[in-house]
Amino acid sequence: MSWQSNPGTPGVRKIDRAEDAALPYDSPSAAFAQMTDAALMVAVRAGDAAAFSALYDRYADLVFSASLRILGDRQLAEDTTQDVFIRVWQRPELFVAARGRFPGWLMSITRNRSVDELRSRGRRLRREASAPADSDDDLTADLPTEARSDDPAWSAQLHDEQARVRAALREIPTEQRAALTMAYFQGLTQQEIAEALSEPLGTIKTRIRLGMQKLRRSLKDEV
Amino acid sequence: MDAPHITQEMADSYAVGALERDVSALIQLHIADCDDCSVLVADAEELAALLAYSAPRVEAPRHLRDRVLRESGAQTPRWRTHVARTGRAAVGIAAVLAVVASFTGMVMIRGDVDDLREQNNVLKTQVDQALSQEVEIASLKSEVSLGDRRAFELETAARDDRELLASLLSSSTEVADVFPVGENTRGVGRLIWDEEQRLLYFVATNLSPAPVGDTYQIWVDRDGRWQSLGSFEPDENGFVRRSFLLSNDIAVYQSAIVTVERAGGSFEREGLSVFAADLATLKDN
Repeated sequence: MSWQSNPGTPGVRKIDRAEDAALPYDSPSAAFAQMTDAALMVAVRAGDAAAFSALYDRYADLVFSASLRILGDRQLAEDTTQDVFIRVWQRPELFVAARGRFPGWLMSITRNRSVDELRSRGRRLRREASAPADSDDDLTADLPTEARSDDPAWSAQLHDEQARVRAALREIPTEQRAALTMAYFQGLTQQEIAEALSEPLGTIKTRIRLGMQKLRRSLKDEV
Repeated sequence: MDAPHITQEMADSYAVGALERDVSALIQLHIADCDDCSVLVADAEELAALLAYSAPRVEAPRHLRDRVLRESGAQTPRWRTHVARTGRAAVGIAAVLAVVASFTGMVMIRGDVDDLREQNNVLKTQVDQALSQEVEIASLKSEVSLGDRRAFELETAARDDRELLASLLSSSTEVADVFPVGENTRGVGRLIWDEEQRLLYFVATNLSPAPVGDTYQIWVDRDGRWQSLGSFEPDENGFVRRSFLLSNDIAVYQSAIVTVERAGGSFEREGLSVFAADLATLKDN
């Protein structure tokens, strides 16, 4: 069993039974701020609505942003965000901590749900959307600086992670990055990307393979 | 470990959604039964998920939070469903008892009432005599056995303490924090996993007694199936130290919870959850 960070471990304590054995934090929000995603999901599985709210506060912006990037429509992005978190609440047992981190699982649901919505509407939304899907503007736009959730430390961590991913993507050759973003954000298959770019299928497969390899090397510590 | 059936390239393409639907469906079917490939795909999905971080950060609308909590049902505590179910069950049982009582009364009226009363009186006398003898015998036994029982309890407690200390000293032991669930839950606890002995210890302090007619019960889960390890009660000081045997056919569990169930324990997890522990966070003692 791998060790994961478990902040707030009290260590050896002397407990006086004449007093309340106080928890190492003073309020529910402070308590949840110290819990890992996996620990919050354990609480969610036990039916803890406050733990679910804490997870929502951590990841709502990320889920909404990704969904909006894929769908290009705010209302649909809201609906998709709602669907994603409802799934988290109703089927928490689908998250297996031993197989990967919670953000990966959550964004996999988000991406799949968003692309399903995109495909069900025949990709009409992408043509109507104002922002092109494969624009490099995404990587150069400023990241928001204000903390959204009640936990500034968590927001800062998310901000740093976002900056690292963007930096890693900038290092990937443009054509490889384009293949990855067209697949991930537009829901296009390798065949569809090849047709859209008038490139051989093998070329697209290679670009995706090399792009993921470079991304993996750059972000090895984060995965 | 056998070589995975899915290549890294396939896993990466699957993770970014670049594969054809029928191929993706086959991969999904495969990883449902293949742990090695499942891990490979999960790793690729985690990497692909980082692509989402590159999307321009847009704040989710404020009203969406309330809507999500409302539509998901997370604003209604799940324990209310338990109470409602228990209430409905109690009403159902009371209705059945009322029917049985009225039926029994009708049978008595039809019978030979005098004979039955005579027999009843004889039986009652015999029962009283037997009871008085039993009470006397029990009282004598109680005085003798009280001392023995107390000595046995102390000896058992000392042995359990020695076993727990031995587990804590062992290099094969790991510890996980236990988190209270719910605003009214009090107590501080730890789970101690002794892999060598295949024992799981639950140790807690400042635990409230279980409600009358109920007991605490501890469950572990693997892939969504909850398995009971046993039930327990804290002592008069709110302290509990219990050990539970772990099944040998399962190497690892994902999480553990403690619930409040009816006295005697429950076959299915039904009660209110009071503690939870993420066994993935077990760390060396």
